[in-house]
Amino acid sequence: MILSAHRSLLVFSGLCLLVCSPAKTQNERPAASLAKHEHREVTFNRDLAPIVFRTCAPCHHPGEAAPFSLLTYGDVKSHARQIADLTQKRIMPPWLPEASEWKFNDDLHLTPEEIFLFQKWVDAGLPEGAPADIPPQPKFDSSWHLGQPDLILRADSSYEVPASGSDVYWNFIFRVPLEKTRWIKAIEIRPGERRLVHHANLIIDRSQSSRRLEKTFGSGFPGMELQIESEAFDPDGHFLFWKPGTIPAPAPPDMALRLDPGNDLVLNTHLQPSGKTEKIQPAIGIYFTSEPATRFPVLLQLENDRKLDIPAGEKNFLVTDEFKLPEAVSLLAIYPHAHYLGRDMLALAKFPNGATKTLLHIPRWDLNWQAVFTYTKPVDLPAGTVISMRYRYDNSADNPANPNSPPQRVVAGNRASDEMAHLWLQVLPQSPVTESQDPRRVLQEAIARHHIANNPGDFEAHYNLAAMLQARGQTLQSIEHYQRALALRPGDATVENALGSAYFASGDFPNAIKHLSVAVASRPDYFDSQYNLGLAFANAGQFPQAIEHLRAAVVLHPKDADAEANLGAALAANGDTQQAIAHLRRALELNPQHTLARENLDSLTKPQ
Amino acid sequence: MTSRSTRTKLIATGPVLFVFLAIASFAGMASAQTALDLRGKSVDPFHSSRGKITVLVFARIDCPITNRYAPLLQEMNDAHKDKVAFWFVYPDKKTTAEEISEHLRQFSISIPALRDPSHSLVKHASVTITPEVAVFDSGGQLLYHGRIDNLYEIAGRSRPAPTTHELRDVLDAAIAGKPSPLASAPAVGCYISDLE
Repeated sequence: MILSAHRSLLVFSGLCLLVCSPAKTQNERPAASLAKHEHREVTFNRDLAPIVFRTCAPCHHPGEAAPFSLLTYGDVKSHARQIADLTQKRIMPPWLPEASEWKFNDDLHLTPEEIFLFQKWVDAGLPEGAPADIPPQPKFDSSWHLGQPDLILRADSSYEVPASGSDVYWNFIFRVPLEKTRWIKAIEIRPGERRLVHHANLIIDRSQSSRRLEKTFGSGFPGMELQIESEAFDPDGHFLFWKPGTIPAPAPPDMALRLDPGNDLVLNTHLQPSGKTEKIQPAIGIYFTSEPATRFPVLLQLENDRKLDIPAGEKNFLVTDEFKLPEAVSLLAIYPHAHYLGRDMLALAKFPNGATKTLLHIPRWDLNWQAVFTYTKPVDLPAGTVISMRYRYDNSADNPANPNSPPQRVVAGNRASDEMAHLWLQVLPQSPVTESQDPRRVLQEAIARHHIANNPGDFEAHYNLAAMLQARGQTLQSIEHYQRALALRPGDATVENALGSAYFASGDFPNAIKHLSVAVASRPDYFDSQYNLGLAFANAGQFPQAIEHLRAAVVLHPKDADAEANLGAALAANGDTQQAIAHLRRALELNPQHTLARENLDSLTKPQ
Repeated sequence: MTSRSTRTKLIATGPVLFVFLAIASFAGMASAQTALDLRGKSVDPFHSSRGKITVLVFARIDCPITNRYAPLLQEMNDAHKDKVAFWFVYPDKKTTAEEISEHLRQFSISIPALRDPSHSLVKHASVTITPEVAVFDSGGQLLYHGRIDNLYEIAGRSRPAPTTHELRDVLDAAIAGKPSPLASAPAVGCYISDLE
């Protein structure tokens, strides 16, 4: 009798764990130069229309997020002083990073010369200019940007955004109906009424762990930050971020995103009341490719939330973290994350040759305009490069974004009024994956150990490190870190399950049964732990108990061939040949290639 | 209009000669402070709100900041019906009465609306922004003009929630017969001067 497979989960927290569908193609920047315009009249058609069409119109057109259109002379004229004012203050177009050595896609940064043109135009009395000077008006259409998607999913129910009050964070779960593993080259997020949606993040939930947060099936759930559990070692390193004006771009052909049957996609939205009650019901369009990924980016997270304890009134609170890369990588994208008190956010790379360069500098953070920034060309970071983040927080009354009045002491947490200090990097390891060495694991293990060094009480770091060690076969070390995670969250069903499965792997069935039983008792609908407990009992020779828990697993996941096969095996071992045959046949119906089910069935049905 | 107030303005006409020019009282000027209701009829909001505190809310149908304040303004209107008369005033001469009616309907506003194409009320209230409120006492004296609260630091950048509540504070003082706590505070939104 052969029994197989144990499962555990890897926990990630934070906003994003997904694919880049950054945005639009770059239009060539008009080379506005101050000298060129000094001695002649500035006109809308010749001087401003190219800037407005490139940087304003993508959001300021009907159906998009911005409040009014900026497509014609008349449109712009009726907001002229406002535009001149907001561009000068660098509020519009919304673009947080300062210009630096490495450029980002869809850079909306205006040059001082461009900003000056708006001032000059207002001073000149808003001249329209010659009709021949105006470039063609950009065309926007409301259909799917990449053509008809292969699969369109709508949120099961809409969410009603109240007419007034503070910003709202709501999550929608998309249950993807897949029969087999598919590869995704692009996803378009259509968040619904765009005026209400400040930004949205799509996260893959490989273990349906978010479903537990819904009050009723399909209702969605509140929350600014998500904690998603991800099956075993699966370092999917993709961002899927939406902000107003985003046009999806397909991922490079060899970097498609894997989606398996049973995976959910969770859309985390930041919504702002508009003055009337409105319903939003987002949709996503998925574009598949037949080419599986051959290159796999990794997300690395620098963070130092433990240092976030900002006294009320503190104007300049510094939080830093630094991490030395154990492998050479190409940096593809960067995503800084703080809440309302963040002010100045800096990410640096100190190269092995001693040079220090700025990867990202946001001199004035604004949560409302957060984004994933994708480099136009990947940035080479050799092994030994030290990445650092230096975030400054302003918890004084002078910070207009301060959610507390008067200011209060603020610590790390998931609520909007708590703080965070995270920096996500999407990197592509430069050395190849071989049988003996996976650079993704080297990176993930190094970052987990880094987090533990920063914060020995970091539950997720212990858990993730344990899961990686377990995946690598270092079972005893993995048990040690699972135990440390369990000490931080006693009774946590996910950890009890993982620790049980690690004991199982080490051959310690009594301890496996002990921890898996705790997991099952606290969450009877937890498939993985029912399945694992069934296997543990079977391996310990306690077949009636094994049958009980494998039956429970089959009820929870009726289409799981492994569960059916093992139930069949346990029934056979317990002497119930008839039922055993039925379940082994069912396993083969679900997966005709299931070797264990085939062998066991053959041994039961063929004459000895 | 019961009480009368007189303002004087000093005008220099030469290096030495000063002329005191008496500006008509608000009561006397009231007939000039007219705007159009949605049927095109000339209306003097100060006359119509006689005996009450008057709040003019300068608005624009394509201004998201104005829209976001609709529930709060409606709530304040409902809470102080007996003592305060609210008016929505639309200064854009290109906006039609039909568009305004639709705007009010969409945002569930029952406050009466006026069109102010000649910017007569705009000038009278010294406002420059939509949304900006102007509060007048029952005698028509301008008590306050400016923002409703500080939800917006600047257009495009809002706080999680306001931390000052200027309109509420001014109205509470006016209703209690106390002096206004402040005369103005900068409003955030769209510039009225951008309208023709």
